[in-house]
Amino acid sequence: MSSATESDIDPFTREVITNALQSAAEESFINLGRTAKSSVIYETLDYACGLIDPDGNVVAQANGVPGFLGTLNFCVEDTIEKYGLDGFFPGDIVLLNDYHGGTHLNDVAMVAPVFVDGEIVMFAASKAHWTDIGGKDPGSWTTDATSVFQEGIQYPMVKLYEEGRLNRAVRDIVEANTRMPEMTLGDMQAQEASMEVAVERVQEIADRYGKETLERAIDDWLEYGRELVLEEIESLPNGTYHAEDYLDDDGITDEPVYVTVEVTITDDSVTFDYTGTDPETEGPINSPYAASVSDARALFQAITLPDAPTNGGFFEPLELIIPEGTVLNATKPAPIGTDWESSAMAADLPWKALASELPEKLSAGHFTSVCATIVGGTDDRTDDEFLVIEPQPGGWGACHDRDGADVLVCSGDGDTLEMPVEVMETRFPLLFDQFALDTPQEAGHGEFRGGTGLVQDYNVYNESGAFITASFGRSEFPPWGVEGGQPGDGNYIEIVKHDGSTERHRKLTNYDLEDGETARLVTSAGGGWGDPLERDPERVLDDYRDDYITAETAEETYGVVLTDDGDLDVEATERRRRQLSTESTE
Amino acid sequence: MSENTTRAAVDIGGTFTDFVAVRDGTLSLEKASTTPENYANGVVDVLSKSDVSMDDIEQFVHGTTVVINAITEREGEDCALITTHGFRDVLDITRANRPDMFNFRYEKPEPFVPRRDRFEVSERIDQAGDILTELDPSDVREAAAEIRDRGIETIAVAYVNAYANPDHEQRTRDLIADEYPEAYVTLSHELSEEYREYERTNTAVLNSYVRPIADDYLTTLADHLEESGVEGNRYVMKSNAGTSSFSQARQSPIEMVESGPVGGVFGAARIGEQLGEPDVISFDMGGTTAKTSLIEDGDVDIETEYWLESSARDEGYPVQVPVVDIVEIGAGGGSIAWIDQGGSINVGPKSAGADPGPACYGRGGTEPTVTDANLLTGRLNPEYFLGGEMELDVDQARASLEPIADEFGTDVRQAAHGVLQVVNSNMAHALKQVSLQRGYDPRQFALVASGGAGGLHAATLGRELSVKETIVPRAPGQFSAWGMLLTDLRRDYVRTLVRSFEPDAADIVDDAFASMADRAREAFDAEGVPREDIELEYSVDLRYDGQEHTVQTPVRSDGDRITGTAIERTIETFHLRHDQAYNFQLDDPVELVNLRLTATAAVSKPAIDVLERDGRLSEARKAERPVDFGTEGTHETPIYDRSTLPVEVSFDGPAVVEEPACTTLVHPDQTCRVDEYGNLRISQQ
Repeated sequence: MSSATESDIDPFTREVITNALQSAAEESFINLGRTAKSSVIYETLDYACGLIDPDGNVVAQANGVPGFLGTLNFCVEDTIEKYGLDGFFPGDIVLLNDYHGGTHLNDVAMVAPVFVDGEIVMFAASKAHWTDIGGKDPGSWTTDATSVFQEGIQYPMVKLYEEGRLNRAVRDIVEANTRMPEMTLGDMQAQEASMEVAVERVQEIADRYGKETLERAIDDWLEYGRELVLEEIESLPNGTYHAEDYLDDDGITDEPVYVTVEVTITDDSVTFDYTGTDPETEGPINSPYAASVSDARALFQAITLPDAPTNGGFFEPLELIIPEGTVLNATKPAPIGTDWESSAMAADLPWKALASELPEKLSAGHFTSVCATIVGGTDDRTDDEFLVIEPQPGGWGACHDRDGADVLVCSGDGDTLEMPVEVMETRFPLLFDQFALDTPQEAGHGEFRGGTGLVQDYNVYNESGAFITASFGRSEFPPWGVEGGQPGDGNYIEIVKHDGSTERHRKLTNYDLEDGETARLVTSAGGGWGDPLERDPERVLDDYRDDYITAETAEETYGVVLTDDGDLDVEATERRRRQLSTESTE
Repeated sequence: MSENTTRAAVDIGGTFTDFVAVRDGTLSLEKASTTPENYANGVVDVLSKSDVSMDDIEQFVHGTTVVINAITEREGEDCALITTHGFRDVLDITRANRPDMFNFRYEKPEPFVPRRDRFEVSERIDQAGDILTELDPSDVREAAAEIRDRGIETIAVAYVNAYANPDHEQRTRDLIADEYPEAYVTLSHELSEEYREYERTNTAVLNSYVRPIADDYLTTLADHLEESGVEGNRYVMKSNAGTSSFSQARQSPIEMVESGPVGGVFGAARIGEQLGEPDVISFDMGGTTAKTSLIEDGDVDIETEYWLESSARDEGYPVQVPVVDIVEIGAGGGSIAWIDQGGSINVGPKSAGADPGPACYGRGGTEPTVTDANLLTGRLNPEYFLGGEMELDVDQARASLEPIADEFGTDVRQAAHGVLQVVNSNMAHALKQVSLQRGYDPRQFALVASGGAGGLHAATLGRELSVKETIVPRAPGQFSAWGMLLTDLRRDYVRTLVRSFEPDAADIVDDAFASMADRAREAFDAEGVPREDIELEYSVDLRYDGQEHTVQTPVRSDGDRITGTAIERTIETFHLRHDQAYNFQLDDPVELVNLRLTATAAVSKPAIDVLERDGRLSEARKAERPVDFGTEGTHETPIYDRSTLPVEVSFDGPAVVEEPACTTLVHPDQTCRVDEYGNLRISQQ
């Protein structure tokens, strides 16, 4: 609040300056999205652009996905630690993607200083998923790497630009270490251009208002974020809450991996303590610290003020305890290629712990996994290599007052656009036999139903075939229900062979598909909320008429009996519900 | 173009139905209340109020919100969908994105066709247009019979890859006609020949949804117009800033979805051209929203990626038809200023609307609005609002702003100034979105301001963006209707054709354009337009191999055919445009995504004459009052009456120019010139 701060700039000017900073971050974000060459950037929006002050506070950030919410600040802090504030010059751009970047190696960050009167007032930073950065397999991330050194090249905070001059050696190393140099260099160019935009805009703002006013506005702004969230935390129910869960496996062995959280809410703080979580694994599901922080922050934002702009002050009351050496805080050289599988749990665990406490903020459990899929090969039409990388959307959990959303990207994705079938078919030698809700639904029932998953047939339409790499988590340990709602059914991949036989998988690396074979990708239904026997029979009838459920599910799960004409049999329904309810209490 | 035609336009807005006519170069204006229960009544009212003789109207242009209202109020007709086997759920799946990223209870938009009324038929075409599975006629007949039995009157047909080969959709229409001839049928490829199945399917569905309503409306209106004696040609304003005949609009009403606001953009483009400033940013600020669009070299920018009801929180519904690219934000005269939980000041998007309206209307509104702030700073005249029809209550305005002043420990005047600062910053952001963020330098552009609140903020924004000059045209409150007077018949065709763009592709590109041109000519034939009046403009959407987003690039053809040389020249233009928009170009191969054809047929339009108004500036100076310019201080400011301002005079700021539906502010460091057409042209001293 203005009365609490010792500031002599008026609140309106502060508002105008912070708006301008926010819009600088957005402009740089839009610029990168429109020019990138990787679909992971322009459709999946797996990237973020931000402004970080020299103390490492996020001042403004535009996010395509929540997954970078906690990483840009670490990128800047670590870069400052390496070079020192006097080790930067106008026109520098630093490149990094190693453990310091804080997410898997495909996410390549850039950091650039903004100078005013010879002093750094701000850093522009961005991070984007590049399609291929070398490593043992196409697309770089895999489900079976056992060391980070198999997952691509590491850029250890090196200057790609020095005082505005391209460092040719670095660029050549980038080019030599990718299977798709045209795409990778295109992404790099787009990212550099977007950094320039951010730097230029901040420069303009600083020139116009002066360094001191700018700095004061930033301080006020961070204080505003703190105040904003503290007020909201006061309204959260104080207490200690607990949740635990398992990841299916680490990709190398079939052993489930245990994860747990204890959430403590007080009047002025929220703590997520992940102590007790299993150690880092041999396979690449490990999450570096910053990736887990990002997901934890996303959940924190969801339970406080989902609409608040990203602001470092906002996250100060969130305390995170993530013991080093666990699957949520892995150490080099543990592999981190599919880090989102475990980092998603940093959000999902406190979500599970709090859902019934905060029904206005949280749904029941959703399909959770990014269900990331790579399909590639040589396109016979052009003899060019192709590589499609996509997250798959799935079912979201029911809410306390309505059904869950059908087919929506997971909490780790955001304004991520599913690529249209018609676009996919022009770009890649694939045919889609179906692109549909996974109905009739056999899981996630409740007074309010979990949303349905997606069933999508990638049919190979290419004589030379194709390969598929995919990581479908939450396959064996399905999305959780709330207050008697049923769990969902789990994500999986089904390979349909020429002879019609099928194989079920949850993780695949470089699996060969022949021409005419199908990879059927199926995502889970979300968890239900409340007892299915409490569901309004009219809604059950609607579900039946819309082919969401069969007549049998209506009767056996919901206790709703239909007449031969498909209408509601009110009396039989009452009888059936009484009967089912007695059975369940016995 | 003949000079003596009377052309009239009627634009239905949220509050008023505006009438503008030009005869012999003279402008007539009229206003009546909008009649939401039957919009045609408002049209008849405004026509009968006007002094223009109906028999003389040779061209009648109509902008209407009937389509967008039917959608936002969910008052359309039930409709059914027939689609490819395996794809009935594209309306539920949408693009599966979560724009409201940290909302873990996100609710997706509800499809306009319930799942039970979507029918799958056996058929499949691939992306090259080759038929993989023949259409099964019995599937279509069964679906049509079932739809008829359910009493559903409108049917959308959308097949996967129909943009590449419309054969199955066309045969489906014939099959439906056999079984259920009364049904209204919309085929997706007739509205859009672009890829993206969800977008195209939803477009076909929305067209079906509004078709019966639009059909009734246009029929009723045509009857009323005939009764009123308007017998000239009748046109409807489409979202692409062009017009079409009533009969064509009945077939594809979804093309009218942004019928109203585009008139203002088009008007801005024409004003710019007339004044020799073809690069213009249009800015239209009304009671609830502000809309802006960028016009380069006289051309309005047309997009086919339009989303209805989309926001930072909702994905909305896609409409894949040509729509002028407009950025709209919740900033208008009625926008409410409020303090959020963290103690920060915000303005809008909530608006006090027309009822109760701003606090100063004295109709029970208590929340502070932009209009209240303008009043307290002396910018608005309490005694000359709507030409004096309504007196504004300064005390109410002051009371409404007190809580903000208290919160920040300032006086009420400073609070009012703060509200204006914030709303101006929001609008400046929107103006930057259409210019700077797309690679355009606003210093090369003129700002054309309209709308009831436009003149109060235009000069401030123009200075903020350092535009060449700020232009406030005559009758800024009815500018959208005025813009409609100047429109031509126009059709935009966009066809997806993904392939490498190189000189060898000339024949394929040429053939595709030729078939699009044939379609355009046939459509104009049906409206009785002579072929020699049709003008065709070709452009292509290009990108570097591997990119997704494209840059629209005009095709530099010489003569009738598109040759390899023309393609080479087009590629050169593309490199330059990419560089302009994004600061870099690449040596990579270039890929074609869409072919675009704009077909226009000029209709005779009234000339805009210079305004003959002599007299002395001092005679138009009706008063002085103190006006608060914030950091520039409070000045005793001359007030001019616009209706008596002579042309070709200049005066320095500070100044206020008043007319019944609009007030224009000129800052102390600015100067204002009245040009020969009566436009106010404000620039820095």
